[in-house]
Amino acid sequence: MKNNLRVERAIKNITQAELAELIGVSRQTINTIESNKYVPSTVLALKIARVFEKPVEQLFILEDAD
Amino acid sequence: MKPQFLFPTWTRWLGLALFLVHLPVILICKSYDIHSDPVDSGMFGSGHLFFVLTVVLMVSGLFLIAFARERIEDEQIYQLRLSSLRWAIFANYLILIICLIFINNKADYKDMLGLNLWVPLLLFIIIFRWKIYRLNRSLKPE
Repeated sequence: MKNNLRVERAIKNITQAELAELIGVSRQTINTIESNKYVPSTVLALKIARVFEKPVEQLFILEDAD
Repeated sequence: MKPQFLFPTWTRWLGLALFLVHLPVILICKSYDIHSDPVDSGMFGSGHLFFVLTVVLMVSGLFLIAFARERIEDEQIYQLRLSSLRWAIFANYLILIICLIFINNKADYKDMLGLNLWVPLLLFIIIFRWKIYRLNRSLKPE
């Protein structure tokens, strides 16, 4: 699974720390999600999607290997 | 994420204090050759008080350190906690089984089972801290 968080964050112009605070997780978690080391739970993915006002599928994309 | 039951963050320092307090007590008693085996049995005999001062201080200290909430306790930390606990229990029982096979006298059995008071907690704390350290080290700059 890959994701567009870094790009979306740049568009919205918020830092990892700000995004983390908005959804109530640590900055480390946002960082590891962005670098594809951590797969967020459905709840967290939906919260992130709500911040960016986009459907989850536009932020998190399944890959062939999944 | 639904909040999990954990102690408040500050209890980690309380736990550390309790753990550190028990060290000098152990050292003093060892150097004066005071034994933990109760000579005068009973609830408030010196043997039992010694036991409370050492083992209970140590175990409750480790217990508080292990189960204190992180500053931001999110689902990733929860996952690290769970996997650290799994490894700690795994390693503890591996050690226990190996000891059970290779130990062949009653006194050593007692010592070995005594280890189970604190080995799982200590292993858990070390593995959990190590995982958090690794996580923080692996962060990429924004």
